[in-house]
Amino acid sequence: MKTVSAFIAYQCKRCGRMHYPFHDRCMDCKGREFEEVKPQGNAKLLTYTAIFSLPCGFDQRFLILGVAEFEGNVKALGQVKADSVDQLKVGMIVKSSWEPIRFQSGEDVYGLKFEPLE
Amino acid sequence: MRDVAIIGAGMIPFGRRDEDTLMDMLACASLNALDDAGLGDQLVDAVYVANVGGGMLQRQTAIASSLADRLSLLPAAAETIENGPASGASAVKNGLLAIASGYYDTALVVGGEKMHEVDSHHATDFVSAMTHPQAEYLYGITMPGLGGLFARLYMEKYGVTREHLHAVTLKNHAMGALNPYANFKKPLNDKDIFDGPQALVNNPILADPLRLYDLCPISDGAAALVLSTVDIAKKSGRPYVVIAGFGQATDTHTLAERADPTELKAVSLSARKAFAMANLKPSDIHVAELHDAFTILEIAESERIGFFNEGEGGDAVSSGKTRLGGQIPINVSGGLKARGHPMGATGVAQIVDIVWQLRHELPENRQVKNAEIGLTINFGGFANNVLCFILRRVEA
Repeated sequence: MKTVSAFIAYQCKRCGRMHYPFHDRCMDCKGREFEEVKPQGNAKLLTYTAIFSLPCGFDQRFLILGVAEFEGNVKALGQVKADSVDQLKVGMIVKSSWEPIRFQSGEDVYGLKFEPLE
Repeated sequence: MRDVAIIGAGMIPFGRRDEDTLMDMLACASLNALDDAGLGDQLVDAVYVANVGGGMLQRQTAIASSLADRLSLLPAAAETIENGPASGASAVKNGLLAIASGYYDTALVVGGEKMHEVDSHHATDFVSAMTHPQAEYLYGITMPGLGGLFARLYMEKYGVTREHLHAVTLKNHAMGALNPYANFKKPLNDKDIFDGPQALVNNPILADPLRLYDLCPISDGAAALVLSTVDIAKKSGRPYVVIAGFGQATDTHTLAERADPTELKAVSLSARKAFAMANLKPSDIHVAELHDAFTILEIAESERIGFFNEGEGGDAVSSGKTRLGGQIPINVSGGLKARGHPMGATGVAQIVDIVWQLRHELPENRQVKNAEIGLTINFGGFANNVLCFILRRVEA
Protein backbone atom coordinates (compact mmCIF):
# COMPACT_ATOMS: atom_id res chain seq x y z
CA MET A 1 0.00 0.00 0.00
CA LYS A 2 1.19 3.48 -0.83
CA THR A 3 2.33 5.21 2.38
CA VAL A 4 0.86 8.67 2.84
CA SER A 5 3.08 10.83 5.02
CA ALA A 6 0.59 13.54 5.98
CA PHE A 7 -3.05 14.56 5.84
CA ILE A 8 -3.47 16.24 2.46
CA ALA A 9 -6.44 18.25 1.20
CA TYR A 10 -6.81 19.57 -2.33
CA GLN A 11 -7.57 23.17 -3.25
CA CYS A 12 -8.98 23.88 -6.70
CA LYS A 13 -6.59 26.22 -8.55
CA ARG A 14 -9.47 27.74 -10.49
CA CYS A 15 -12.04 28.60 -7.79
CA GLY A 16 -10.27 27.91 -4.51
CA ARG A 17 -12.69 25.30 -3.16
CA MET A 18 -11.11 22.84 -0.73
CA HIS A 19 -11.67 19.11 -1.15
CA TYR A 20 -11.05 16.06 0.97
CA PRO A 21 -10.76 13.36 -0.18
CA PHE A 22 -9.31 13.81 -3.67
CA HIS A 23 -11.63 14.40 -6.64
CA ASP A 24 -10.50 14.47 -10.26
CA ARG A 25 -12.72 17.51 -10.92
CA CYS A 26 -13.68 20.36 -8.61
CA MET A 27 -17.14 19.85 -7.12
CA ASP A 28 -18.03 23.49 -7.84
CA CYS A 29 -16.30 24.71 -11.04
CA LYS A 30 -15.16 21.32 -12.46
CA GLY A 31 -11.54 22.52 -12.61
CA ARG A 32 -8.98 19.73 -12.90
CA GLU A 33 -5.91 21.26 -11.27
CA PHE A 34 -5.43 21.22 -7.52
CA GLU A 35 -2.84 22.42 -5.07
CA GLU A 36 -2.02 20.10 -2.19
CA VAL A 37 -2.46 21.69 1.21
CA LYS A 38 -1.72 20.18 4.61
CA PRO A 39 -4.35 21.13 7.21
CA GLN A 40 -2.68 20.87 10.60
CA GLY A 41 -3.19 21.76 14.21
CA ASN A 42 -6.54 22.17 15.89
CA ALA A 43 -9.96 21.36 14.49
CA LYS A 44 -13.57 21.46 15.69
CA LEU A 45 -15.28 18.15 16.50
CA LEU A 46 -18.57 18.03 14.58
CA THR A 47 -19.84 14.57 15.53
CA TYR A 48 -18.52 11.34 17.02
CA THR A 49 -19.40 7.74 17.79
CA ALA A 50 -17.99 4.74 19.60
CA ILE A 51 -18.37 1.47 17.73
CA PHE A 52 -18.39 -1.82 19.59
CA SER A 53 -18.74 -4.22 16.66
CA LEU A 54 -15.52 -3.78 14.75
CA PRO A 55 -14.54 -5.02 11.30
CA CYS A 56 -11.67 -7.43 10.70
CA GLY A 57 -8.26 -5.96 11.45
CA PHE A 58 -9.13 -4.28 14.75
CA ASP A 59 -8.23 -6.26 17.85
CA GLN A 60 -9.78 -4.05 20.50
CA ARG A 61 -13.05 -3.77 22.39
CA PHE A 62 -14.24 -0.49 20.90
CA LEU A 63 -13.13 2.35 18.67
CA ILE A 64 -14.05 6.03 18.93
CA LEU A 65 -14.32 7.91 15.65
CA GLY A 66 -15.21 11.49 14.90
CA VAL A 67 -15.56 14.03 12.12
CA ALA A 68 -13.66 17.28 12.67
CA GLU A 69 -13.46 20.50 10.69
CA PHE A 70 -10.13 22.22 10.05
CA GLU A 71 -9.59 25.82 9.10
CA GLY A 72 -10.51 26.33 5.46
CA ASN A 73 -13.66 24.18 5.65
CA VAL A 74 -11.84 20.85 5.34
CA LYS A 75 -13.71 18.09 7.16
CA ALA A 76 -12.40 14.60 7.77
CA LEU A 77 -13.01 11.41 9.70
CA GLY A 78 -10.41 10.40 12.26
CA GLN A 79 -9.89 8.18 15.27
CA VAL A 80 -10.43 9.96 18.58
CA LYS A 81 -8.04 9.54 21.51
CA ALA A 82 -10.48 9.19 24.40
CA ASP A 83 -11.45 6.50 26.87
CA SER A 84 -15.16 7.15 26.46
CA VAL A 85 -17.59 9.30 24.50
CA ASP A 86 -18.46 10.86 27.87
CA GLN A 87 -15.27 12.92 27.46
CA LEU A 88 -16.50 14.39 24.16
CA LYS A 89 -19.01 16.98 23.08
CA VAL A 90 -20.01 18.40 19.73
CA GLY A 91 -18.16 21.64 19.00
CA MET A 92 -15.15 20.98 21.21
CA ILE A 93 -11.64 21.72 19.93
CA VAL A 94 -9.42 18.74 19.15
CA LYS A 95 -5.72 18.58 18.33
CA SER A 96 -4.98 16.62 15.16
CA SER A 97 -2.00 14.36 14.53
CA TRP A 98 -0.91 11.86 11.89
CA GLU A 99 -0.31 8.52 13.56
CA PRO A 100 -0.72 4.77 13.00
CA ILE A 101 -4.42 3.94 12.84
CA ARG A 102 -4.26 0.25 12.03
CA PHE A 103 -1.81 -2.55 11.26
CA GLN A 104 -2.23 -4.07 7.85
CA SER A 105 -0.14 -6.48 5.76
CA GLY A 106 2.72 -6.33 8.25
CA GLU A 107 3.00 -2.56 8.52
CA ASP A 108 1.43 0.43 10.21
CA VAL A 109 -1.09 2.42 8.24
CA TYR A 110 -1.12 6.13 9.14
CA GLY A 111 -4.09 8.44 9.42
CA LEU A 112 -5.73 11.24 11.38
CA LYS A 113 -6.14 11.13 15.12
CA PHE A 114 -7.96 13.72 17.18
CA GLU A 115 -7.21 14.46 20.84
CA PRO A 116 -9.67 16.51 22.91
CA LEU A 117 -8.12 19.71 24.26
CA GLU A 118 -10.80 20.60 26.82
CA MET B 1 -41.71 6.04 -23.05
CA ARG B 2 -44.23 3.28 -22.38
CA ASP B 3 -45.86 2.72 -18.99
CA VAL B 4 -44.45 -0.29 -17.15
CA ALA B 5 -46.48 -2.70 -15.02
CA ILE B 6 -45.54 -5.11 -12.27
CA ILE B 7 -47.38 -8.37 -12.89
CA GLY B 8 -45.57 -10.74 -10.55
CA ALA B 9 -44.15 -10.53 -7.02
CA GLY B 10 -42.47 -13.16 -4.90
CA MET B 11 -40.27 -13.49 -1.86
CA ILE B 12 -38.79 -16.09 0.44
CA PRO B 13 -38.60 -15.65 4.23
CA PHE B 14 -35.61 -13.58 5.35
CA GLY B 15 -33.35 -14.70 8.17
CA ARG B 16 -30.59 -17.24 8.61
CA ARG B 17 -30.88 -19.75 5.75
CA ASP B 18 -27.94 -22.08 6.21
CA GLU B 19 -29.63 -24.80 4.14
CA ASP B 20 -29.81 -22.67 1.00
CA THR B 21 -27.15 -21.41 -1.38
CA LEU B 22 -27.38 -17.93 -2.85
CA MET B 23 -28.55 -19.48 -6.12
CA ASP B 24 -31.21 -21.55 -4.31
CA MET B 25 -32.66 -18.38 -2.82
CA LEU B 26 -32.58 -16.41 -6.07
CA ALA B 27 -34.20 -19.28 -7.96
CA CYS B 28 -36.94 -19.83 -5.38
CA ALA B 29 -37.93 -16.15 -5.21
CA SER B 30 -37.85 -15.95 -9.03
CA LEU B 31 -40.15 -18.93 -9.45
CA ASN B 32 -42.57 -17.44 -6.91
CA ALA B 33 -42.70 -14.20 -8.93
CA LEU B 34 -42.99 -15.97 -12.29
CA ASP B 35 -45.83 -18.12 -10.97
CA ASP B 36 -47.54 -15.06 -9.50
CA ALA B 37 -47.32 -13.40 -12.91
CA GLY B 38 -49.05 -16.38 -14.45
CA LEU B 39 -46.39 -16.73 -17.09
CA GLY B 40 -46.37 -20.50 -16.85
CA ASP B 41 -43.71 -21.90 -19.13
CA GLN B 42 -43.27 -18.64 -21.04
CA LEU B 43 -39.87 -16.98 -21.15
CA VAL B 44 -38.98 -13.41 -20.23
CA ASP B 45 -36.91 -11.11 -22.43
CA ALA B 46 -34.41 -10.09 -19.74
CA VAL B 47 -33.18 -11.02 -16.26
CA TYR B 48 -31.74 -8.44 -13.85
CA VAL B 49 -30.15 -9.76 -10.66
CA ALA B 50 -29.27 -7.49 -7.74
CA ASN B 51 -26.46 -8.83 -5.58
CA VAL B 52 -23.56 -7.28 -3.71
CA GLY B 53 -21.57 -10.04 -2.04
CA GLY B 54 -21.46 -12.92 -4.51
CA GLY B 55 -17.84 -12.30 -5.42
CA MET B 56 -16.65 -11.52 -1.90
CA LEU B 57 -18.71 -13.96 0.19
CA GLN B 58 -19.60 -16.87 -2.12
CA ARG B 59 -16.70 -16.59 -4.57
CA GLN B 60 -19.27 -16.52 -7.33
CA THR B 61 -19.56 -13.87 -10.02
CA ALA B 62 -21.70 -13.52 -13.17
CA ILE B 63 -24.70 -14.55 -11.09
CA ALA B 64 -27.33 -13.41 -13.59
CA SER B 65 -25.94 -15.71 -16.28
CA SER B 66 -26.05 -18.58 -13.82
CA LEU B 67 -29.64 -17.80 -12.81
CA ALA B 68 -30.88 -17.54 -16.41
CA ASP B 69 -29.38 -20.98 -17.01
CA ARG B 70 -30.72 -22.49 -13.79
CA LEU B 71 -34.26 -21.24 -14.52
CA SER B 72 -34.03 -22.32 -18.17
CA LEU B 73 -34.74 -18.78 -19.30
CA LEU B 74 -32.15 -18.97 -22.11
CA PRO B 75 -31.58 -17.03 -24.34
CA ALA B 76 -32.90 -14.14 -22.21
CA ALA B 77 -30.55 -11.19 -21.75
CA ALA B 78 -29.06 -11.21 -18.24
CA GLU B 79 -27.11 -8.78 -16.08
CA THR B 80 -25.99 -8.64 -12.47
CA ILE B 81 -26.49 -5.24 -10.85
CA GLU B 82 -24.21 -4.16 -7.98
CA ASN B 83 -25.01 -0.82 -6.38
CA GLY B 84 -24.40 -1.48 -2.69
CA PRO B 85 -27.54 -1.60 -0.55
CA ALA B 86 -29.44 0.12 -3.39
CA SER B 87 -28.73 -2.76 -5.78
CA GLY B 88 -32.32 -4.01 -5.61
CA ALA B 89 -33.91 -0.74 -6.68
CA SER B 90 -31.19 -0.30 -9.32
CA ALA B 91 -32.11 -3.67 -10.81
CA VAL B 92 -35.78 -2.63 -10.90
CA LYS B 93 -34.73 0.61 -12.59
CA ASN B 94 -32.91 -1.35 -15.29
CA GLY B 95 -36.02 -3.43 -15.92
CA LEU B 96 -38.19 -0.30 -15.95
CA LEU B 97 -36.03 1.52 -18.49
CA ALA B 98 -35.66 -1.52 -20.72
CA ILE B 99 -39.42 -2.01 -21.01
CA ALA B 100 -40.29 1.70 -21.06
CA SER B 101 -37.92 2.17 -23.99
CA GLY B 102 -39.75 -0.46 -25.99
CA TYR B 103 -36.74 -2.75 -26.30
CA TYR B 104 -38.11 -5.53 -24.10
CA ASP B 105 -41.67 -6.51 -23.16
CA THR B 106 -40.98 -8.59 -20.04
CA ALA B 107 -38.25 -8.72 -17.42
CA LEU B 108 -37.55 -10.76 -14.30
CA VAL B 109 -35.94 -8.64 -11.56
CA VAL B 110 -34.59 -10.52 -8.57
CA GLY B 111 -32.40 -9.49 -5.65
CA GLY B 112 -30.72 -11.71 -3.12
CA GLU B 113 -27.93 -11.94 -0.59
CA LYS B 114 -26.49 -14.66 1.60
CA MET B 115 -24.72 -12.71 4.33
CA HIS B 116 -24.45 -15.53 6.87
CA GLU B 117 -21.84 -17.21 4.65
CA VAL B 118 -19.23 -15.60 6.93
CA ASP B 119 -18.97 -14.66 10.62
CA SER B 120 -20.22 -11.30 11.87
CA HIS B 121 -16.75 -9.64 11.80
CA HIS B 122 -16.27 -10.57 8.15
CA ALA B 123 -19.87 -9.57 7.33
CA THR B 124 -19.27 -6.20 9.02
CA ASP B 125 -16.07 -5.81 7.01
CA PHE B 126 -17.87 -6.77 3.78
CA VAL B 127 -20.53 -4.13 4.35
CA SER B 128 -17.88 -1.54 5.30
CA ALA B 129 -16.18 -2.06 1.93
CA MET B 130 -18.63 0.44 0.40
CA THR B 131 -17.10 3.28 2.42
CA HIS B 132 -14.32 5.47 0.98
CA PRO B 133 -11.17 3.30 0.87
CA GLN B 134 -8.74 5.92 2.21
CA ALA B 135 -10.88 8.52 3.96
CA GLU B 136 -13.24 6.15 5.81
CA TYR B 137 -12.57 2.40 5.56
CA LEU B 138 -8.96 2.50 6.80
CA TYR B 139 -10.07 4.13 10.03
CA GLY B 140 -12.28 1.18 10.96
CA ILE B 141 -15.59 2.87 10.29
CA THR B 142 -18.60 0.59 9.79
CA MET B 143 -22.02 1.36 8.37
CA PRO B 144 -23.52 1.39 11.90
CA GLY B 145 -20.64 3.73 12.80
CA LEU B 146 -21.69 6.13 10.05
CA GLY B 147 -25.22 5.73 11.38
CA GLY B 148 -23.97 6.74 14.83
CA LEU B 149 -22.19 9.83 13.46
CA PHE B 150 -25.35 10.78 11.56
CA ALA B 151 -27.68 10.07 14.49
CA ARG B 152 -25.73 12.35 16.83
CA LEU B 153 -25.89 15.19 14.29
CA TYR B 154 -29.60 14.68 13.61
CA MET B 155 -30.55 14.31 17.27
CA GLU B 156 -28.63 17.46 18.26
CA LYS B 157 -30.04 19.53 15.38
CA TYR B 158 -33.68 18.46 15.53
CA GLY B 159 -34.19 17.28 19.10
CA VAL B 160 -34.81 13.66 18.13
CA THR B 161 -34.71 11.63 21.35
CA ARG B 162 -33.93 8.06 22.33
CA GLU B 163 -37.67 7.64 22.90
CA HIS B 164 -38.32 8.52 19.25
CA LEU B 165 -35.78 5.92 18.05
CA HIS B 166 -37.29 3.43 20.44
CA ALA B 167 -40.76 4.07 18.97
CA VAL B 168 -39.46 3.11 15.51
CA THR B 169 -38.01 -0.13 16.90
CA LEU B 170 -41.23 -1.09 18.67
CA LYS B 171 -43.43 -0.25 15.68
CA ASN B 172 -41.33 -2.15 13.14
CA HIS B 173 -40.82 -5.19 15.33
CA ALA B 174 -44.57 -5.29 16.03
CA MET B 175 -45.23 -5.35 12.29
CA GLY B 176 -42.40 -7.83 11.61
CA ALA B 177 -44.02 -10.20 14.10
CA LEU B 178 -47.04 -10.37 11.78
CA ASN B 179 -45.01 -10.85 8.60
CA PRO B 180 -44.22 -14.47 7.69
CA TYR B 181 -41.28 -13.25 5.57
CA ALA B 182 -39.64 -11.24 8.38
CA ASN B 183 -36.25 -12.01 9.91
CA PHE B 184 -37.53 -11.02 13.39
CA LYS B 185 -40.97 -12.37 14.17
CA LYS B 186 -40.93 -11.39 17.82
CA PRO B 187 -42.62 -8.24 19.13
CA LEU B 188 -40.63 -6.29 21.71
CA ASN B 189 -41.78 -4.33 24.73
CA ASP B 190 -40.32 -1.50 26.78
CA LYS B 191 -39.00 -3.80 29.47
CA ASP B 192 -37.06 -5.87 26.93
CA ILE B 193 -34.99 -3.08 25.52
CA PHE B 194 -35.67 0.31 27.02
CA ASP B 195 -36.41 0.70 30.70
CA GLY B 196 -36.40 -2.75 32.25
CA PRO B 197 -33.58 -4.12 34.42
CA GLN B 198 -32.16 -6.13 31.52
CA ALA B 199 -32.45 -3.33 28.94
CA LEU B 200 -28.75 -2.47 28.88
CA VAL B 201 -27.83 -6.14 28.53
CA ASN B 202 -30.43 -6.90 25.87
CA ASN B 203 -29.92 -3.66 24.00
CA PRO B 204 -26.28 -2.55 24.36
CA ILE B 205 -24.74 0.43 22.60
CA LEU B 206 -23.18 -0.72 19.32
CA ALA B 207 -22.53 2.59 17.53
CA ASP B 208 -23.13 5.36 20.04
CA PRO B 209 -25.79 6.73 20.34
CA LEU B 210 -27.33 3.79 18.43
CA ARG B 211 -28.09 0.57 20.28
CA LEU B 212 -28.43 -2.99 19.06
CA TYR B 213 -32.17 -2.65 18.38
CA ASP B 214 -31.62 0.55 16.41
CA LEU B 215 -29.81 -1.50 13.75
CA CYS B 216 -31.12 -3.84 11.08
CA PRO B 217 -29.94 -7.46 11.31
CA ILE B 218 -27.58 -9.35 9.03
CA SER B 219 -29.93 -11.45 6.90
CA ASP B 220 -30.13 -13.96 4.08
CA GLY B 221 -33.00 -13.70 1.64
CA ALA B 222 -34.30 -12.98 -1.84
CA ALA B 223 -37.23 -11.22 -3.52
CA ALA B 224 -38.37 -10.99 -7.13
CA LEU B 225 -40.66 -9.08 -9.49
CA VAL B 226 -41.89 -9.59 -13.04
CA LEU B 227 -42.18 -6.38 -15.06
CA SER B 228 -44.08 -6.09 -18.32
CA THR B 229 -45.88 -3.77 -20.67
CA VAL B 230 -49.32 -2.59 -19.63
CA ASP B 231 -50.84 -4.52 -22.55
CA ILE B 232 -49.55 -7.78 -21.06
CA ALA B 233 -50.71 -6.76 -17.56
CA LYS B 234 -54.24 -6.11 -18.80
CA LYS B 235 -54.51 -9.68 -20.06
CA SER B 236 -54.22 -11.03 -16.51
CA GLY B 237 -57.77 -9.89 -15.74
CA ARG B 238 -56.85 -8.81 -12.20
CA PRO B 239 -55.71 -5.53 -10.63
CA TYR B 240 -52.07 -4.74 -11.33
CA VAL B 241 -49.53 -2.12 -10.36
CA VAL B 242 -47.76 0.41 -12.56
CA ILE B 243 -44.54 2.29 -11.86
CA ALA B 244 -45.89 5.83 -11.77
CA GLY B 245 -42.71 7.60 -10.73
CA PHE B 246 -39.01 7.00 -10.35
CA GLY B 247 -36.09 9.12 -9.23
CA GLN B 248 -32.42 8.56 -8.40
CA ALA B 249 -29.73 10.86 -7.05
CA THR B 250 -26.18 10.62 -5.71
CA ASP B 251 -24.27 12.53 -3.03
CA THR B 252 -20.64 12.72 -1.88
CA HIS B 253 -19.00 9.39 -1.17
CA THR B 254 -17.91 10.45 2.31
CA LEU B 255 -20.36 11.66 4.95
CA ALA B 256 -17.81 14.18 6.22
CA GLU B 257 -17.57 16.12 2.97
CA ARG B 258 -21.25 17.13 2.89
CA ALA B 259 -21.98 20.72 3.87
CA ASP B 260 -24.77 19.43 6.11
CA PRO B 261 -24.95 15.62 6.34
CA THR B 262 -28.38 15.79 7.95
CA GLU B 263 -29.88 17.08 4.71
CA LEU B 264 -29.86 13.66 2.99
CA LYS B 265 -29.86 15.49 -0.33
CA ALA B 266 -30.00 12.32 -2.43
CA VAL B 267 -33.17 11.23 -0.60
CA SER B 268 -34.87 14.58 -1.15
CA LEU B 269 -33.82 14.78 -4.80
CA SER B 270 -34.77 11.23 -5.71
CA ALA B 271 -38.19 11.67 -4.10
CA ARG B 272 -38.72 15.04 -5.79
CA LYS B 273 -37.96 13.47 -9.19
CA ALA B 274 -40.33 10.57 -8.54
CA PHE B 275 -43.14 12.85 -7.41
CA ALA B 276 -42.66 15.04 -10.50
CA MET B 277 -42.79 12.04 -12.85
CA ALA B 278 -45.91 10.69 -11.13
CA ASN B 279 -47.48 14.16 -10.87
CA LEU B 280 -48.16 13.46 -7.20
CA LYS B 281 -47.24 14.99 -3.84
CA PRO B 282 -46.25 13.41 -0.49
CA SER B 283 -49.80 13.66 0.90
CA ASP B 284 -51.02 11.45 -1.98
CA ILE B 285 -49.03 8.44 -0.71
CA HIS B 286 -51.03 5.80 1.17
CA VAL B 287 -48.21 3.47 2.26
CA ALA B 288 -44.39 3.65 2.23
CA GLU B 289 -41.43 1.35 2.69
CA LEU B 290 -38.41 3.40 3.78
CA HIS B 291 -34.78 2.33 4.18
CA ASP B 292 -34.58 1.99 7.98
CA ALA B 293 -31.20 0.29 8.20
CA PHE B 294 -30.99 2.37 11.40
CA THR B 295 -34.02 3.72 13.26
CA ILE B 296 -32.84 7.32 12.84
CA LEU B 297 -33.03 6.91 9.07
CA GLU B 298 -36.77 6.17 9.05
CA ILE B 299 -37.36 9.43 10.92
CA ALA B 300 -34.97 11.47 8.76
CA GLU B 301 -36.23 10.04 5.46
CA SER B 302 -39.87 10.64 6.42
CA GLU B 303 -39.01 14.34 6.73
CA ARG B 304 -36.80 14.58 3.63
CA ILE B 305 -39.47 12.96 1.44
CA GLY B 306 -41.97 15.51 2.71
CA PHE B 307 -44.31 13.34 4.80
CA PHE B 308 -43.52 15.58 7.79
CA ASN B 309 -41.85 18.93 8.35
CA GLU B 310 -38.18 19.07 9.41
CA GLY B 311 -37.87 18.06 13.04
CA GLU B 312 -41.37 16.56 13.26
CA GLY B 313 -40.58 13.00 12.18
CA GLY B 314 -39.74 11.81 15.69
CA ASP B 315 -43.00 13.01 17.20
CA ALA B 316 -44.87 11.57 14.20
CA VAL B 317 -43.61 8.08 15.03
CA SER B 318 -44.24 8.44 18.76
CA SER B 319 -47.79 9.70 18.21
CA GLY B 320 -48.68 6.81 15.90
CA LYS B 321 -48.89 8.74 12.64
CA THR B 322 -46.69 6.15 10.89
CA ARG B 323 -48.44 3.06 12.25
CA LEU B 324 -50.89 0.93 10.32
CA GLY B 325 -54.06 3.02 10.38
CA GLY B 326 -52.10 6.23 10.92
CA GLN B 327 -51.63 9.26 8.65
CA ILE B 328 -48.98 7.53 6.53
CA PRO B 329 -48.17 3.91 7.43
CA ILE B 330 -44.39 3.40 7.10
CA ASN B 331 -42.66 0.01 6.99
CA VAL B 332 -45.76 -2.08 7.56
CA SER B 333 -43.61 -5.04 6.50
CA GLY B 334 -41.38 -4.47 9.52
CA GLY B 335 -38.88 -2.64 7.36
CA LEU B 336 -35.20 -3.43 7.16
CA LYS B 337 -35.29 -3.28 10.96
CA ALA B 338 -37.46 -6.39 11.39
CA ARG B 339 -38.02 -7.91 7.93
CA GLY B 340 -34.23 -7.82 7.51
CA HIS B 341 -31.68 -6.40 5.08
CA PRO B 342 -30.12 -8.97 2.75
CA MET B 343 -28.49 -6.17 0.79
CA GLY B 344 -29.20 -7.09 -2.81
CA ALA B 345 -32.73 -8.20 -1.94
CA THR B 346 -33.90 -5.14 -0.02
CA GLY B 347 -34.85 -2.74 -2.83
CA VAL B 348 -36.80 -5.50 -4.59
CA ALA B 349 -38.45 -6.68 -1.36
CA GLN B 350 -39.67 -3.16 -0.58
CA ILE B 351 -41.46 -3.06 -3.93
CA VAL B 352 -42.83 -6.59 -3.47
CA ASP B 353 -44.37 -5.47 -0.17
CA ILE B 354 -45.90 -2.38 -1.77
CA VAL B 355 -47.29 -4.47 -4.67
CA TRP B 356 -48.98 -6.79 -2.19
CA GLN B 357 -50.40 -3.74 -0.38
CA LEU B 358 -51.73 -2.18 -3.60
CA ARG B 359 -53.27 -5.46 -4.76
CA HIS B 360 -55.02 -5.66 -1.34
CA GLU B 361 -53.74 -9.19 -0.75
CA LEU B 362 -52.44 -8.93 2.80
CA PRO B 363 -54.30 -10.08 5.94
CA GLU B 364 -56.34 -7.41 7.71
CA ASN B 365 -53.72 -6.87 10.43
CA ARG B 366 -51.14 -5.84 7.79
CA GLN B 367 -53.24 -4.36 5.00
CA VAL B 368 -53.46 -0.58 4.57
CA LYS B 369 -57.14 -0.10 3.75
CA ASN B 370 -57.87 0.95 0.17
CA ALA B 371 -54.18 1.59 -0.54
CA GLU B 372 -53.76 2.74 -4.14
CA ILE B 373 -50.43 4.59 -4.16
CA GLY B 374 -47.21 3.49 -2.48
CA LEU B 375 -43.61 4.75 -2.25
CA THR B 376 -40.24 3.14 -1.62
CA ILE B 377 -36.81 4.56 -0.74
CA ASN B 378 -33.78 2.33 -1.22
CA PHE B 379 -30.61 3.87 0.13
CA GLY B 380 -27.12 3.03 -1.11
CA GLY B 381 -23.87 3.61 0.77
CA PHE B 382 -24.58 6.13 3.45
CA ALA B 383 -27.20 8.02 1.39
CA ASN B 384 -24.78 8.55 -1.48
CA ASN B 385 -26.96 6.73 -4.03
CA VAL B 386 -30.71 6.72 -3.44
CA LEU B 387 -33.62 5.47 -5.53
CA CYS B 388 -37.29 6.31 -5.03
CA PHE B 389 -40.21 4.52 -6.68
CA ILE B 390 -43.88 5.49 -6.65
CA LEU B 391 -46.31 2.70 -7.52
CA ARG B 392 -50.00 2.95 -8.39
CA ARG B 393 -52.80 0.37 -8.39
CA VAL B 394 -54.71 -0.06 -11.65
CA GLU B 395 -58.06 -1.86 -11.74
CA ALA B 396 -58.44 -4.67 -14.23
